[in-house]
Amino acid sequence: MRRLVRDNGLGLFFLGLLLVTIVAQALVGHADFNHQQVAHHDDPISLGRYVFSSDFGVDVLENWQSEYLQFTLFILATIWLVQRGSPESKELDQVGRESDEEQKVGEHATEDSPRWARARGWRLTLYSNSLLTVMTAVWLASWLVQSITGHAAYNAEQFDHQEASLSWGQYLGTSDFWNRTLQNWQSEFLAVGSMAVLSIYLRQRGSPESKPVGAPHDATGVEG
Amino acid sequence: MARPALGIAAAVLAIGTAACGRSDDRAEVRSVTDGFLAAYAADDGAAACARLSSHTVQALEDQEQAPCSRAVTELQLDVGDIARVEVYVTNAKVDLTTGESAYLSEEAAGWRLSAVGCRPEDGKPADRPFECEAEA
Repeated sequence: MRRLVRDNGLGLFFLGLLLVTIVAQALVGHADFNHQQVAHHDDPISLGRYVFSSDFGVDVLENWQSEYLQFTLFILATIWLVQRGSPESKELDQVGRESDEEQKVGEHATEDSPRWARARGWRLTLYSNSLLTVMTAVWLASWLVQSITGHAAYNAEQFDHQEASLSWGQYLGTSDFWNRTLQNWQSEFLAVGSMAVLSIYLRQRGSPESKPVGAPHDATGVEG
Repeated sequence: MARPALGIAAAVLAIGTAACGRSDDRAEVRSVTDGFLAAYAADDGAAACARLSSHTVQALEDQEQAPCSRAVTELQLDVGDIARVEVYVTNAKVDLTTGESAYLSEEAAGWRLSAVGCRPEDGKPADRPFECEAEA
């Protein structure tokens, strides 16, 4: 058990943080929602009702979709784009999908390689692109659910002001949908860009996200 | 690798599905509106007012300077059948076949009418509030 926790510490740590913060978000979001209800002469609702509402749903999903877009674009971009001196980048002469030997696939796979890395045909193709495929799928699914929950929350607000509702298609063209989307996208791109560039010149001893403390600034694709 | 991804996908779908609303809300919204329209048509002010939100009752009494049970029967409403019911979170809109609409909000005691006798102003209905005979 101790070894299980140690070997999976990073994942467990962030899973724990996720659970704590999403509960905290539910509590403060519920308080904020009811504050708005009272301001509009409406009755407050229970925490259970709020957690299953579109208002909570859109607030969660607008953030999730941007995180998975960040990963999707970062995984994709780092295949072909490089950043001199950054540990987030491949080495400058390794742009592209690389050779089978470098990727240890097919006849170049070892006994420890995943089974589908030793295969050929559609299995190898699928597995070779599985990370990007899953990240993209989760991004698109969470963006879709953001649009559905955002549509419901938007129309609830419309009715509160005695206005007409919009269809889902019409909602996709609203400033509300794109404001929620873009405010999240810009922060994700800022974070990734910052990390790629700051890690050229700054160091954190012991972290694989950093180059070794003594590594030169122009050393690329080196982990600490 | 597949299990965490499936878990995330399931969570995404669960949140989306749960947020889509409850079908019994639509039934109650329809029932409250039907009850109000029937009471109005029968000149039963007390029954009509029982289906208005407390803030709408107060606003109506302030507007008409009369008890709600009398003021509500003097509203100029174009009563008709219910053509469409929409419910989103704690707010609802009912469209009548006459072109008028009513708005409802979910209160602790159930759904209540927050605005009646509503028609869109000139221009895009989604951009501007409807003009209502009575509202909270």
